[in-house]
Amino acid sequence: MSLIALRNMTKIYPSGNQHITAVDELNLFIKAGEFAVLAGPSGSGKTTVLNIIGALDRPTEGAVAVDQCDYSEMSKKELADFRLRRIGFIFQSYNLIPVLTAAENAEFTLMLQGVPAEERRKRIEAIFAELGIDGLENRRPGDLSGGQQQRVAIARAIAPEPAVILADEPTANLDSHTAEDLLDLMRKLNREKGVTFLFSSHDQLVISHAQRVVHLRDGRLESDTRQDA
Amino acid sequence: METITLAWRNIWRSRRRTIITLIAISFSLMLVQGFHNLAFGVYAQMIDSGVRSGSGHIAVYRGDYATSRDDRLSWELAGLKEKVTTLDGVRAALPRVYLLGLAQSSRESRGILLTGIDPVAENDINPLLKKIDAPELIRSLNGRDALVGNRLLTELKLKIGNKFVVTAQGPGKELVSELFRIRGVVKSGIREVDNSLVMVGRERAARLIGGPDSVHELAVILEHPDLEDKLTGEITSLLGNRENLSAVSWEVAMANLANAIKLDYASQKFIFLIIVLIVTIGVVNTLLMSVMERIREFGVILAVGATPGRLRRMVITEAFLIGVISMLLGNLLGILLTWYLADVGIDLRRFVPETMEFGGVVFDPVMRAAWDFSYMIKMSLYVLVLSVIASLYPAAKAARILPAEAMRHF
Ligand SMILES: Nc1ncnc2c1ncn2[C@@H]1O[C@H](COP(=O)(O)OP(=O)(O)OP(=O)(O)O)[C@@H](O)[C@H]1O
Ligand SMILES: [Mg+2]
Repeated sequence: MSLIALRNMTKIYPSGNQHITAVDELNLFIKAGEFAVLAGPSGSGKTTVLNIIGALDRPTEGAVAVDQCDYSEMSKKELADFRLRRIGFIFQSYNLIPVLTAAENAEFTLMLQGVPAEERRKRIEAIFAELGIDGLENRRPGDLSGGQQQRVAIARAIAPEPAVILADEPTANLDSHTAEDLLDLMRKLNREKGVTFLFSSHDQLVISHAQRVVHLRDGRLESDTRQDA
Repeated sequence: METITLAWRNIWRSRRRTIITLIAISFSLMLVQGFHNLAFGVYAQMIDSGVRSGSGHIAVYRGDYATSRDDRLSWELAGLKEKVTTLDGVRAALPRVYLLGLAQSSRESRGILLTGIDPVAENDINPLLKKIDAPELIRSLNGRDALVGNRLLTELKLKIGNKFVVTAQGPGKELVSELFRIRGVVKSGIREVDNSLVMVGRERAARLIGGPDSVHELAVILEHPDLEDKLTGEITSLLGNRENLSAVSWEVAMANLANAIKLDYASQKFIFLIIVLIVTIGVVNTLLMSVMERIREFGVILAVGATPGRLRRMVITEAFLIGVISMLLGNLLGILLTWYLADVGIDLRRFVPETMEFGGVVFDPVMRAAWDFSYMIKMSLYVLVLSVIASLYPAAKAARILPAEAMRHF
């Protein structure tokens, strides 16, 4: 049973009087517990695929199901709720709300779910310790390094225990050493807690850490390989 | 970390922009409150002076005397003055006789308004008698002592102590005359009064139109203007249906003054319009800019699962907080300004003659504010409500953000 299933998924962007086919009849299935990366050159459609899986955008054609849920008929509000409970997001940069502290940022998704403050604090405390950022709870994002910021974003993403974490080039703004640490951390979460990860990246470092590499070119699947990592 | 905390931190992100907006809104609230209270104080003082020299807060008239000023509409006092005076909240009841007539000295003659008064009752109330000891000058109700306007005195080419004759129309249209002696001069600053006033004992004037108990007006001065409605009712019931008498508000009896004030208040609507513009433009501008700067951030917030409604509420809460702060600050400043204007006032004596006239009433050249709390509260609430209304457009814009597109934004 696939956690994520894309069947003949096509995304066409209108652009002036032309159309850009960002994703072209893509078939992709990802199981729970995978640690996969969408690779490919710039413009190959990686972000578009992640956005559609993450219910931030709708496909032009084809079917998308995440966690056995087809959200083509959902309202904006239902989509928001779906994202809140089932999807974790980590973006390339500026992930965090600058006026909130690290802990408040991490708690944000739990707060949206209505988890009581006391429980939020406990859970975030444990997650911060696990991610090696304990002690930074009261810092604002502006006072954190890029790697620390991404860890806070990971904390926010895993706190509600989503079905999958989608990470769009999470290491693009980090130096290779920090990037490697972050990847190891996510791999650990994947192994020990079974959290499913789907990245996008054109960074060889990220690709080498992945368990499965899906290569895209011009919106089409070029190759799909499993590797030991 | 609820909406209000987040909104509070957000408004201080662009500290300078927020402070400028807060200052603009609070200053306009301060000015609106201060100037309204100044006008309110000046009008209150004018109304007070107007009712004292004129019809009182409430006047008793026969028929349509309030508008026609027909000399023949006189009536018998028959103890009404005493009955009204004993009512709770009445400071004084002043019976008066008014007669148009002709004053003649040996050399000149002028049209005048002969006014019969009770000097003892009028003395510490009527501002026309401010620097005058009326009971000392008009020594009895039916004597021949008279006070005249200062301009009339010079036009008649008379001096204090001189005699002159007043001729008027008696009840049967026959001409009746009476001799008076000038005992004092009234200088009000109102041209019409200074040109034509002749004040005499009421009973002497009344004899020209009938019996000594005849009057045209009973001017009732109240302890407080707000008692008007209550006492109009009580006086009306005292009148029964005697001789077509009725109790009339000063706004009817002194329509000139009432209209002048209404007109002047209307000009304040313009000032109010300015505050509406400042609040709206200030809030829309501030929030629209801050929403535009946060498109990517809003994209992230939406992506991680916030609903568009939550973003909308957050932006509206930001406006609400701006509204609350400027309301509090504006009120503080408005209170200080009103305080100053009530205590020190604006002294116009350097710019204008000793006395000023407005709507037929003299007013003090030192303008002083009075507290109109209900207006101040109303304006504060307007500021708050307007801030929230002005935020609806920026809030809607925030709620319309599409996360996938916002994420491509930097
Ligand atoms: N909103 C849009 N309107 C028009 N064209 C778009 C839009 N979003 C993406 N595209 C186009 O779709 C194609 C795929 O874009 P996408 O962002 O998915 O690529 P990507 O693989 O993530 O690239 P990168 O590595 O640069 O992030 C590109 O040609 C891009 O120009
Ligand atoms: Mg991309």
